[in-house]
Amino acid sequence: MTFSRDSYRTVVVGAGIVGLFTAYHLARAGGGPVLVVDRGFLSGGGSGRNGGGVRQQWETRGTVRLARESVEAYRRFGIEFGFNIWFRQTGYLFLAENESELARLRNVHAVVASEGLASHVLDAAGVARLVEGIAPGATVGGTYLRTDGTLYPFPVVWGVYEAARSLGVEVALGVEALGVEVRDGRVAGLITSKGPVATPTVVNAAGGWSGDFSRRSGLDVPNVATRHEILASEAMKPFLDPMVVRASDGLYFSQSMRGEVIGGLSLPHRPGTSRGPTSSPAFLIAMARALVGLLPRLGAVGVLRAWSGYYDDTPDGFPVVGEDPRLPGFVHGNGFGGHGFMLAPATSRRIAGAVLGQPTDLDPAQFSPSRFLAPASPSTPERLQLG
Amino acid sequence: MAEPDRPFSFRGRSMAARDGETLLAALSRDRLPLLRRSLQYHRPQGPFCGIGHCAGCLVRVNGRPNVRACRHELGPGDVISTENAWPSPDWDLLGAIGILAPRGVDSLHGLRRPAFATPLYQRLVRRLAGTGEPPTEEAARAIAAPALERAAEVVIVGGGDAGRAVATALAARGVRPLVLERTLRSTPIVGADFVPATTAVFLPPPSEAGDPRFTLLAFREPGQGMRVTARSVVLATGGYDSSLLFRGNDRPGVLSADAALSLTSDSRRPPFRRAVLVGGGARAAEVLERCGNDVEAVVAPGEIRPAVVGAANELAIPLYPRSLLLGVRGRRRVRSVQLKSRGGGASTTIGCDAVILAHRRVPHAQLFFQAGASMEWRSDPGAYAPKVRPDGVTSVPGLYAAGSVAGLAARDLAGHAQGIADAIGGNGSSNAPTFAPLLDERPNELLGYYRELLRTRGHGRWTACACVDVLVSEVEKAVRSGYRGIEVIKRYTSLGTGICQGRYCLPDALLVLSLLEDRPPFEVGYITQRPPVVPTPLAALASLPSPSAEVVP
Repeated sequence: MTFSRDSYRTVVVGAGIVGLFTAYHLARAGGGPVLVVDRGFLSGGGSGRNGGGVRQQWETRGTVRLARESVEAYRRFGIEFGFNIWFRQTGYLFLAENESELARLRNVHAVVASEGLASHVLDAAGVARLVEGIAPGATVGGTYLRTDGTLYPFPVVWGVYEAARSLGVEVALGVEALGVEVRDGRVAGLITSKGPVATPTVVNAAGGWSGDFSRRSGLDVPNVATRHEILASEAMKPFLDPMVVRASDGLYFSQSMRGEVIGGLSLPHRPGTSRGPTSSPAFLIAMARALVGLLPRLGAVGVLRAWSGYYDDTPDGFPVVGEDPRLPGFVHGNGFGGHGFMLAPATSRRIAGAVLGQPTDLDPAQFSPSRFLAPASPSTPERLQLG
Repeated sequence: MAEPDRPFSFRGRSMAARDGETLLAALSRDRLPLLRRSLQYHRPQGPFCGIGHCAGCLVRVNGRPNVRACRHELGPGDVISTENAWPSPDWDLLGAIGILAPRGVDSLHGLRRPAFATPLYQRLVRRLAGTGEPPTEEAARAIAAPALERAAEVVIVGGGDAGRAVATALAARGVRPLVLERTLRSTPIVGADFVPATTAVFLPPPSEAGDPRFTLLAFREPGQGMRVTARSVVLATGGYDSSLLFRGNDRPGVLSADAALSLTSDSRRPPFRRAVLVGGGARAAEVLERCGNDVEAVVAPGEIRPAVVGAANELAIPLYPRSLLLGVRGRRRVRSVQLKSRGGGASTTIGCDAVILAHRRVPHAQLFFQAGASMEWRSDPGAYAPKVRPDGVTSVPGLYAAGSVAGLAARDLAGHAQGIADAIGGNGSSNAPTFAPLLDERPNELLGYYRELLRTRGHGRWTACACVDVLVSEVEKAVRSGYRGIEVIKRYTSLGTGICQGRYCLPDALLVLSLLEDRPPFEVGYITQRPPVVPTPLAALASLPSPSAEVVP
């Protein structure tokens, strides 16, 4: 028997951080029985492949609020979930290479500060105080928010997984979701590689594969999977506290608890989830150049390993949260770009809320699935899709 | 042999090396040095692999951290210091961590309370973690060099016996291959271009490409980048001598057969006098031949082959076949080993100053995996290796396997090399072959061994992963908590995520997990090895020309 029951009140597709958190919130609200299916292993997707950055500096208020609430959740995580996630609030530093980039960052700062967060605009000297050994002239300044930080992603997954299971959530790994079964115009079940399972509600929290799953369920969605690469260096004694992000090329890196420099860079990867090589020479070379250009002494540091994962991008940069108006019972919890980890704790509550039919405090113009069905999106897009 | 006349400074002391000598060789004249303490518990940890993979000989050289002493060819006036031990690896006060926490520090669940103290814990743990201090800017400048770019018809990775045989066969057909060999000083090959370089990244041609060429990123010590393209690639990457689980298996004095052989090349005197040799096969015979006079006993998990028995008898070395190696004694270096006959015999203690592991040779197959070749499980030695046809053809068109990584014995090398040369020369088929999906379901020889060993009291405190200091008990606990499969256990315990990237712990972990999860090792999962093959200096990568493609495949 793959599943312990024939039918569930909700089936969540994807045992990543969003899917597990959503299942956890559902179970806590008495919304069970809940089944989570995932075609891979725990932390095999984006939740086990990200750089661990958690920030509240965004261009739009809606995202800042979700991020701030998520940061609070991560601060409490160790006590609530019993796992030490090493959430280290040593700040996010956005770098500007020129005055026009700095002007853009000032706008970000204005939004973030107006939400009550202690963000700062720094000049080049202020940046140099935070990043020891930065190449002279590499930056004209930036913005810094001390309460942003980094965490160790794996124990977050273990913690939510164990907490959800102890609330009765069933997690079936190695089970692929093939599509939904529709009866009378609404969801009646999920078809999996291990057979069908009856349910009135399916949550699509499949991360990079969520666009594929929606389309296999007959829904035209704009989600696009894009491969992003990342690398880790040999471990060193601590020399860098904040996560450093550069707006121009999407460079981001931090030094982990273990001392490795971990980071990536945006490259124009071909969209789609077809299995390519895990790492490309183009990335390794571009990333090495960016790191050495910014911090020349890193030239004498070895790259230990490189890997890649999929972003789940939407056209306006906002996640998709809520029931699809075209298919009752099909709830979206996807479109997080590369920022599922940053926003999952707060957003998953709203996804669970959508399953339970609760009213939402999210602006529908930014987060609802119906925004893509209207001819033009009226809201400001979220373009700070970095680090 | 020349007198040591090249001065260098080691921990403030003036010393001398011979021309072209590695730092490890220079420090190993009488016995193996103690250069390092383990990452978390600061146990004394010795140089183990001798071939530039493990963490056992990391030192700081001229302001550059994490340099492998076994890979560093001494230059005039080099300044060497040790890392991550205070005040020194011999007397490290941080060893108290291991004494205060004999069952390990649980960084997954511990140090969470009180919440207000977490920033303090984080600063402390961060300071204790890491290995070397970050490099100086001068160190980065000193290793930077203009990149090399090469294009060749055929590239051979590995200049050992197998690579040389293929190079010779190709040269005889008028093809001049480019041979990339990692060993610091090896003899060039006539008829071939020979470049001493470490291959780090290997990619097949993009599927839709107009230019069907492989790309290899390599580097020359200490930091010169190299980009090579080729129409055909022969991987003759050989294998390495695996680790073994026992109490104190990374104590100074425990070393691989690779290390024993590389440290005794050029008729150098071995850094031991009374070694216990572990293994009963061809590799053990090699070690006996090279340094049999300094071997005290031969111990094997299984039977001992006639060739080894013969050589040992000639040297009057006692044999201990079918023995459990329980552990070593000796606080800062090996003083003795403790054995027990398998199937419940009495235990024996043998005094020694080294333990040489020659019991299991694992193929160095990572480049095949990177290139997307079909891989298969080989029950002997219990590892994944490429699927290879008898003529060296793999599942990737243009990619060939030669030598032991193709599962070949030394005596078959010459004939095999001819086959590869024929295939590359166009006499063979150019289409990628299909391989029957055969599964090698024979049990691995060490499985039964570990089944017995895991009944030993106290094995939970043994080290499963020497680079990151993961204990066997942590692996057992992860399995008990319901986590399964090598990929998840790796992420749960951090096993295999250190400096050797799992090379020395995952082959054993796969067998142990097979027993704990009660399923065959090949179902525990594939060991994904991510590029690069070895830590590659950012300076070397940064010096390479950017690929022209606008979209990354």
